[in-house]
Amino acid sequence: MKVRVDPDRCVGHGRCYALAPEVFEADDMGHCFIPGEDVPPELEEKARIGEQNCPEHAITVEE
Amino acid sequence: MDAVSDTPDTPDTPEMPESQFVLDDKTASEPQPIYRMLRENSPILRTDEGGTVISRHEDVEFALRHSELFSSDMDAISIGNVRPLIPLQINPPEHVKYRRLLDPLFAPKQVALLENDVRKLSNQLIDDFIDSGECEFNGSFAIPLPCTVFLRLLGLPLEDLDLFLEFKNNIIRPPAKDQAEFERIQAETGQRIYAYFDKVLDERERQPRDDLMSGFLEAEVDGHRLTREDILDICYLFLLAGLDTVTASVGCMVSYLASHPEQRQRLVDDPALVPGAVEELLRWETPVPGVPRVLTDGVELSGEELQSGERVTVLLGSANIDEHEFPEPDNVDFERPANRHLAFGGGVHRCLGSHLARLELRVALETLHERIPDYTIKRGEEPQYSMGIRAVEYLPLVFTPPARTS
Repeated sequence: MKVRVDPDRCVGHGRCYALAPEVFEADDMGHCFIPGEDVPPELEEKARIGEQNCPEHAITVEE
Repeated sequence: MDAVSDTPDTPDTPEMPESQFVLDDKTASEPQPIYRMLRENSPILRTDEGGTVISRHEDVEFALRHSELFSSDMDAISIGNVRPLIPLQINPPEHVKYRRLLDPLFAPKQVALLENDVRKLSNQLIDDFIDSGECEFNGSFAIPLPCTVFLRLLGLPLEDLDLFLEFKNNIIRPPAKDQAEFERIQAETGQRIYAYFDKVLDERERQPRDDLMSGFLEAEVDGHRLTREDILDICYLFLLAGLDTVTASVGCMVSYLASHPEQRQRLVDDPALVPGAVEELLRWETPVPGVPRVLTDGVELSGEELQSGERVTVLLGSANIDEHEFPEPDNVDFERPANRHLAFGGGVHRCLGSHLARLELRVALETLHERIPDYTIKRGEEPQYSMGIRAVEYLPLVFTPPARTS
């Protein structure tokens, strides 16, 4: 699974890294960045939680 | 439901700015049925008193995402200010310059440093009323918590609390008989707000301190220092955005939990549910029910044409219970798996203070549930809500006081 964040959409709600800090991190602005696009199987559920709680639909996961 | 259509015509209702006309103080305690009715019957509701209310999730999301079309500049709302408030009333692309400066100050990492202070303060406020077994929650907790946090953050004297409450009440709920007086009080208060911060900035220029006001004097945007007016325009917005909203949010949440003991008990039994509860109650209660915008061009929403220059209330509260986005929207589920609520708005103007608000709300619920876990509404009494921002202006609680140990 791959996870991506669209930096033009992210405005720093911070829901992703609050709910799934294993997958999503915050930069100084409080916007999301993803250290690695490839999500190991044990974190796939976490990546989905981030995606499902982003009010800006900035996060996409691809199988 | 007649409430919505009747409200604007009630003869004794003074004219209010557009954010306040759909819902009044009587419906503010339970606006959700009105939101539903609006979405189903009048998703684009034009009202006489100055605004078009949009209520479907799809339309609300579109408006928030298109800030160039749905502008929040000075034409959208007047709140006593003479220049655009920074950053809310600055349109892109200028807007992002200010957010680059301000967002890091209010990012989760930064506000986390305040947690111990907020917890201590929360406990101190509870200390003051816990032995009596009752309190009027708004005055004894919901107001002083965020206001004290705000004053400390900016580095302002705590004795000025009453002055700040007067400032923000005069702007948000001016004690006015008619529109002219409403605007006069706002304008006069606005001048007093500018003058207050101007004086503090003079002091900080002479003697800098480790506070936000001093920080603004040093801050740069695109290699230029902020002007004095820039800083005043930031502080003005902070005062209006930072005080009332958290007061209203903690009031709405505690009022809900006091009237839903089984839900309250779940949080008492499992405090790990509190962060999810904060999000879900932000969705369900949406303490800031709508945000004002003005159209810069024509647009079609839900099959209706809206014109350039039209003022719009973007009804966040309604979007947050729209079944097209939230399955079983009326079910308040602290473990809702997907919660893309818009209680803090969205798009480029996403609430700057949202992370500080979340921290205050979480810590407030944690400390209350630890200290007075069985709070309920006092028998024979009812909470009183006001509209605009949904403050619970009167919230009488009773609870078991701690056993006295000598």
